[in-house]
Amino acid sequence: MALRTLTRRSWLGLTGAAAVALLAAPGVHATETPRHGGTLIITTTPEPSLITNALSSAPTTAEVATKIFDGLLEYDMDLEPVPSLATSWEVSDDGKAVTFHLREGVRWHDGKPFTSADVQFSLLRVVKEYHPRGPGNLGPITAIDTPDEHTAVVRLAHPYPPMMRELSSLEAPIVPRHVYEGTDYRNNPAVNEPVGTGPFRFVSWEKGNYIELARNEDYWREGRPYLDKLIFRFIADSATRAAAIESGEVHVATFGTINPVEMRRLEGLDNVEIAAGGYEALAPMMLLELNNKQPPLDDKRVRQAIAYALDREFIVDNIWYGFGKPAVGPISSVHEGAGLYTEEGVRRYDVEDRIERANALLDEAGHPRGSDGMRFTIIHDPAPFGEDWRRMGEYIKQALKRVGIGVEIRNRDYPTYVRQVHNEYDFNMTSSWYVGMADPTLGVQRQYWSKNINADVAFNNTARYSNPEADRLWEAAQVEMDPAKRATLFHDLQRILTEDSPNIWLMEMGLVAVQNSKVEDLITSPLGVRGGLYDTWLDQ
Amino acid sequence: MWQARLSYLLRRFAHGLPIVLAIVVVNFFLVRLAPGDAATVLAGEAGAATAQYMEQIRTQFGLDQPLYVQFLSYMKNILVFDMGYSFRHGRTVASLIFERLWATLLLMGTAMAISTGLGVLLGALAARYDRKPLGFAIVLFAIVSYATPLFWVGLMLIIVFALNLGWFPTSGIATIGADTSGLGYVLDVAHHLVLPALTLSFFYMALYTRLMRASMLETLRMDFVTTARAKGVAEGRVVRRHVLRNAILPVLTMAGVQVSGMLGGSVIVESVFGWPGLGLLAFESLAARDLNLLLGIFFLSSLLVVATNALIDLAYTLVDPRIEFAARSKRNV
Repeated sequence: MALRTLTRRSWLGLTGAAAVALLAAPGVHATETPRHGGTLIITTTPEPSLITNALSSAPTTAEVATKIFDGLLEYDMDLEPVPSLATSWEVSDDGKAVTFHLREGVRWHDGKPFTSADVQFSLLRVVKEYHPRGPGNLGPITAIDTPDEHTAVVRLAHPYPPMMRELSSLEAPIVPRHVYEGTDYRNNPAVNEPVGTGPFRFVSWEKGNYIELARNEDYWREGRPYLDKLIFRFIADSATRAAAIESGEVHVATFGTINPVEMRRLEGLDNVEIAAGGYEALAPMMLLELNNKQPPLDDKRVRQAIAYALDREFIVDNIWYGFGKPAVGPISSVHEGAGLYTEEGVRRYDVEDRIERANALLDEAGHPRGSDGMRFTIIHDPAPFGEDWRRMGEYIKQALKRVGIGVEIRNRDYPTYVRQVHNEYDFNMTSSWYVGMADPTLGVQRQYWSKNINADVAFNNTARYSNPEADRLWEAAQVEMDPAKRATLFHDLQRILTEDSPNIWLMEMGLVAVQNSKVEDLITSPLGVRGGLYDTWLDQ
Repeated sequence: MWQARLSYLLRRFAHGLPIVLAIVVVNFFLVRLAPGDAATVLAGEAGAATAQYMEQIRTQFGLDQPLYVQFLSYMKNILVFDMGYSFRHGRTVASLIFERLWATLLLMGTAMAISTGLGVLLGALAARYDRKPLGFAIVLFAIVSYATPLFWVGLMLIIVFALNLGWFPTSGIATIGADTSGLGYVLDVAHHLVLPALTLSFFYMALYTRLMRASMLETLRMDFVTTARAKGVAEGRVVRRHVLRNAILPVLTMAGVQVSGMLGGSVIVESVFGWPGLGLLAFESLAARDLNLLLGIFFLSSLLVVATNALIDLAYTLVDPRIEFAARSKRNV
């Protein structure tokens, strides 16, 4: 992987200083050979309700399941596909058929052989039908042919390039046909005692306490995984999780389990460090979703004014303690490498005179300041994900007061929040985040495509943004085979969306994990701790 | 005598039944007042879901049925102690609850023993050394313990005894990954139990200390104590035989009342110490709108409280013979 990124251009740019920096970079242990053995303990929250991610896209379900299941493909740090259960693949000229050559000699944890029938069953009958994002993401698949045990040909209704970026164990895990076929999948006991082909096999689940996985002795990656056991521990209190990391009882805490301010404190300890990277394939984006159908935020000028009034740098540094970077538009800059991201011609809200612009826009929109200096009041629903989100709400209240917008903060518990904001659209402005995924078609489109407005299904274009031109571009990008033309479509979308400002993009989140220093090679893929962890080892 | 006690106990349980039933009915409707349902939560956790997905879940959970149908089928099941199925966990409610009941009972039982034991002892000492430095110190300690929030006590104990001194683990019920069994396992659990049990005890210990002290002081001024002293009974014996047995009654009453309170307190302690018990399960099922599970826990808790109160009443008859007499004379009326 390191070699892959050393293209000719970077060779030329590799000055002495950069070379030294590369050698000194933490996590690079070129001289150390990985050691076998040991138990790695990871804490995450909340405890998942099931651990088969073919049926659920809950984040912690995936954190556990990606160790048990493999996908057809994995991805390198540039998000390019690399072999996993598929060793090679070809796309037909018309783009409507993709042939996967499957790895031979792979066995399920119960000893049965893995074949093309499993691939056909998993993608077509399970993931496409039952994974919450499946019908959308695998929608164009019409059939999967299995000419022999080790070949699967995916037939598509139309060319669909993004599919090649969603076949990891995270989004499209391959599950055993012989266990599920003919059963009610969701109530199959295997859902919580999964059988996979992955590096670790399921051992036990003590509800409310921990899930134990053990090394798959028969794993197809020679000599891997290094760890004997992998344990996910569930501790309800965030301060206690931090204490468990500090005492060394827990080795890894995934992002969101420990408050950012605590993460910075733990980082200062000798035995703890921040595991950088490992969320590139998720492209997580934090934003404010605005109610585009209700005054006063149905007016583009008001939405733009709010976008100007907020200081993204301040939010990143003071609310999130630097775990992220200021966002410019709806598509994350992790897609810069693939050429899908642009800053050219997009409206920037981080300009020098942003406060003046905000005031001018609000005056122009017909909201003059009253005798108390205020123009109008809106309600803000902070996402019910913890105190950091509430603190961000308090900052937003302060910042908008400067331009004469009053903010009333409403804190609700999770189900109430989802019902009120995302199902009933009874809101003005809410904080939230989405995963943009490895391709904007897969993760970003659903937030801005008017055909995705659906009151019954939360977290889909909650802003109810609707723009025929944007719809046309999203639909064109789904089927465009030429990478350069496809990139242009996304660039145009970024210009349109930043101009319309249906939502306010605040931060490209850094979903980093906290780890004990004796954990080596924790982050080796763009999925980070959501990968298979077969390269991870303990230096004891 | 024992027969009388047994029939008394049975009668108490019989009186408890309508109470439990009423609780079940009220709870059934009460939990449904909260906005949002299990499907909303699952879809929210999923990050994105389709309309078919939501439909599938609602049908599977029976959420598409009219409320009265849901109610009737729930009542029919509860009468044969069938608490239903948690679709979120893919398990029966009974298996989920009983798997975790012992952890909560262990925590509560230990905390109960520590808080009543130490509370009675400290209260008695405080009364004995009233207006002396030891008495003041105990009262001060009790007031501070009473006023300190449980979660804060828990975190402080973790910082001091788990992080700084390293004597105890920060959280959990047993060392994970260590395959201990038998005595090793018991010791391991006991080691993990110390901090959470102490935390949960603090508040109640303070309560019992103050109660015991007040009750002791009052009893010490009673005529029969003066008589005992006048008879020349040694001071130690006066306190043990005459004062303590009388003074302990209010503490006993309070302990019965506090069982339900402790279930609430255990939510916080279980959360802080990652203790896999019922309190935590109740909290999570509320947040996830896993109503069957939540109702199951409420049902079991109400049974527990009714049973404990009956047992406490029985305990009175052991400590105080007058109560047995009162019950009997009432029947004669």
